[in-house]
Amino acid sequence: MTPQDLVTRMLPPFGGWLALAALALPGGSPLRGAAVAVFLAAGPGAALVGLCGPALRARAARGPVETRRPDFARRSDQLERLMLTFLLSVGAVMVVATVLIATHTFSAQRVLLALTLLTTLAAFCPRLRASPPMPRTRKGSAL
Amino acid sequence: MRPPTTPRERSAPEPVPESTSAPVTPDETEPERTPGSQAPSSSESSSPAHEPVTDLSDLPPVWPGRRGLAAAWPGVPLLAALALWVYAVRHTDVSRLDDFGLVTALHPAFWAGLVVLAAGFWFTVRDPRRPSGWPAAYVLGLLVMERATQAVLYPTPLYAWAWKHDGVVDHLLTAGGLQGADRIGDMAVYDQWPGFFAAQAALVRLLGVESTAMYMAWWPLVSSLMLLLPLLLIYRTFTEDRRLIWTAVWLFYVANWVGQDYFSPQSVAFALHLGVLAVVLRRYGRSGGTRGRQRQAVWTVVLSVLVVAIVISHQLTPAMLAVSLLALCLIRRSRDWVPLVTTVVIFLAWCLTAALPFLSAAMPDMIRSVGDVGGNVATGYGATPTGTGAVATSWAARLLSGTVLLLAVAGVWRQRVLRHRATPLLVIAAAPLPMFVASSYGSEMIFRVLMFLLPGAAFFAAAALLPKVRTLAAEAEAGARGPEARVVAPGTGRSGIGVWGPLLVLVAGTLAFVPSYSGKDRINYFPPGEVGLVQRLFDEAPEGSTVVAANRNYPLAYESYGTIDHYWFLDDDRRHVDEILKDPAATLARDMTGVERPGRAYFLLTQGQFANSEMNGQLTGDQLDRIRDSVAASPRFRLVAENGAGVVYELRREGGAER
Repeated sequence: MTPQDLVTRMLPPFGGWLALAALALPGGSPLRGAAVAVFLAAGPGAALVGLCGPALRARAARGPVETRRPDFARRSDQLERLMLTFLLSVGAVMVVATVLIATHTFSAQRVLLALTLLTTLAAFCPRLRASPPMPRTRKGSAL
Repeated sequence: MRPPTTPRERSAPEPVPESTSAPVTPDETEPERTPGSQAPSSSESSSPAHEPVTDLSDLPPVWPGRRGLAAAWPGVPLLAALALWVYAVRHTDVSRLDDFGLVTALHPAFWAGLVVLAAGFWFTVRDPRRPSGWPAAYVLGLLVMERATQAVLYPTPLYAWAWKHDGVVDHLLTAGGLQGADRIGDMAVYDQWPGFFAAQAALVRLLGVESTAMYMAWWPLVSSLMLLLPLLLIYRTFTEDRRLIWTAVWLFYVANWVGQDYFSPQSVAFALHLGVLAVVLRRYGRSGGTRGRQRQAVWTVVLSVLVVAIVISHQLTPAMLAVSLLALCLIRRSRDWVPLVTTVVIFLAWCLTAALPFLSAAMPDMIRSVGDVGGNVATGYGATPTGTGAVATSWAARLLSGTVLLLAVAGVWRQRVLRHRATPLLVIAAAPLPMFVASSYGSEMIFRVLMFLLPGAAFFAAAALLPKVRTLAAEAEAGARGPEARVVAPGTGRSGIGVWGPLLVLVAGTLAFVPSYSGKDRINYFPPGEVGLVQRLFDEAPEGSTVVAANRNYPLAYESYGTIDHYWFLDDDRRHVDEILKDPAATLARDMTGVERPGRAYFLLTQGQFANSEMNGQLTGDQLDRIRDSVAASPRFRLVAENGAGVVYELRREGGAER
């Protein structure tokens, strides 16, 4: 793992802990709002996409029938990762908040803490990779 | 399915994912090839204006000579449009809206800005040599002008339903948990689909603001931006032509006037819905056996998170999603039952557990409405545009939607190649239509169906505005026959109707969005005086009180709905409304006497209620004035508060001490 990979991997949980720390700032403060909004909009999703990324990329994407630019598919994949980062974050916030409110244990700090812990866990998990290709062997043949 | 007709299609009749779009990962990115390395050279030699649209005309690099200032000229109309917008919003007075809403209040510079923006977009996007960032910048400019104008102009958030959702969030924060119909009556439905509200409750506390009213005016801009990436991904699955992609995005935004972008679960659920469709279109479908399935498993986990978020937030969107996924399964190339089964299982699991109380109560009505297309399409009492302004803006909206849908039909009919390639998108566009048969969805089904079919319709509508898509083989064949064989189709030249016709449509559509979207702002805008008046009422109303009003079109209408009851007399039987009109004070006093101590009965009449009643064909302003005058003159009522935006009276208790 390169230092750059490490930074990329640790950025989402860092954002979560930063957002938690920002709660010490007065309500309505722009810094507190920015820290919270950025983490809720991207943190959990970025961690999930990072965790599943290699496995997700193993399945080829559909694209236009005729292609001229090889980077078109790459850009589409980047857009997809960006979209998933955001939508998964939004989804995670909704699911965690709903679980807490349904169990009468809701507090905003708990929502943020739960999301931060999940993000941290995802960042430390080994990346999910697609299973390696099965060796093509005939029945009964020696490997 | 139509048989392949072109050489290219005959040789590869079905696009197979693994072979059509190379699975490029960051680790395996091919070095960028020079333009034309894979395409017929004839395509590259043509001038931008004369280049027929193939799927392949995406993003050739900028000519070296056009770098620098010349390449930046698209910024000029964009900046001019934004400057006009800034000037317009600084010189627009919204304190006296008439029946045309924002349309007549806006400074003329706003309209000029929209024209400049739409024209600048068209001339930028149709030049394939422009850097791809410019169309994106124009679309962002459009979103700012369309969806942020109201947030800038009005000092308070618009729309009674947005205020209602603010009330739901406030209630969740107060209650700290979900409640049933035994505690909060009809409002329990929100506690059975709490995803959006729970997230907003957390956000309010985390931001440290008083309520969602502090930021919900900006929600239309935020929720519209949320749609951008899913839309782009969906369109990029079927074409590389950025003209088609961005024109479709533009048309989608200008035709999406139905106003479901406000602070609501629908706004987020729609973005998630499009996200799921984008993933399914790109990553599912015919695939390579067991190994493909294994690779699909992780995608299904990702998809499940999005589907769960939709299912816990909104009633209609999961049904729309299931219908769209089912429709995709009907075509061979997109057939994959996993997303459909995943969605249906999650949806049913929620419906049979958390949402069961609401569904079991509503089921008889839902079953009755199945098949009643006329009833499901009808918009219901109190939704008949009345008055010149309401009728005119309503027709502008119909005309806008009709035009885009007609263009979509024209695009499907004319673009044979695209129709074949983008069949899944066509199917997704048609999928919501059967929902007319299923339910009226509170008289809103027609608008929701329009919104859900719009992403697909906008794509084909954009295709109708652009020259015909040709296959690579056809293009190469034309190139081989020489330049004369590549003669551009009529109207695709620089000065033909191919340029000015679509431009006219884009400009007209962009302008028509404003009356369609903001034409009823007289109903939807509640000035600070009105907000203050209602707030004062709720501040002093003890628990168990009842608020009587003409209708629910006022801010904070659902404030404290767990402890304060409401009665909106225009929702009542018509005969009772006639009784109120005959003897207002006596009839209303009789209606309000049942309130038990310590609760009190209040009568509230505000300008928002006037606007809603007048412009939607309920009572006229004169009739409401008569009711107000009657209550004011009655000794049974006591004036609590009054300002230019409305009045609050309290029913005096018979034989009791008054405060």
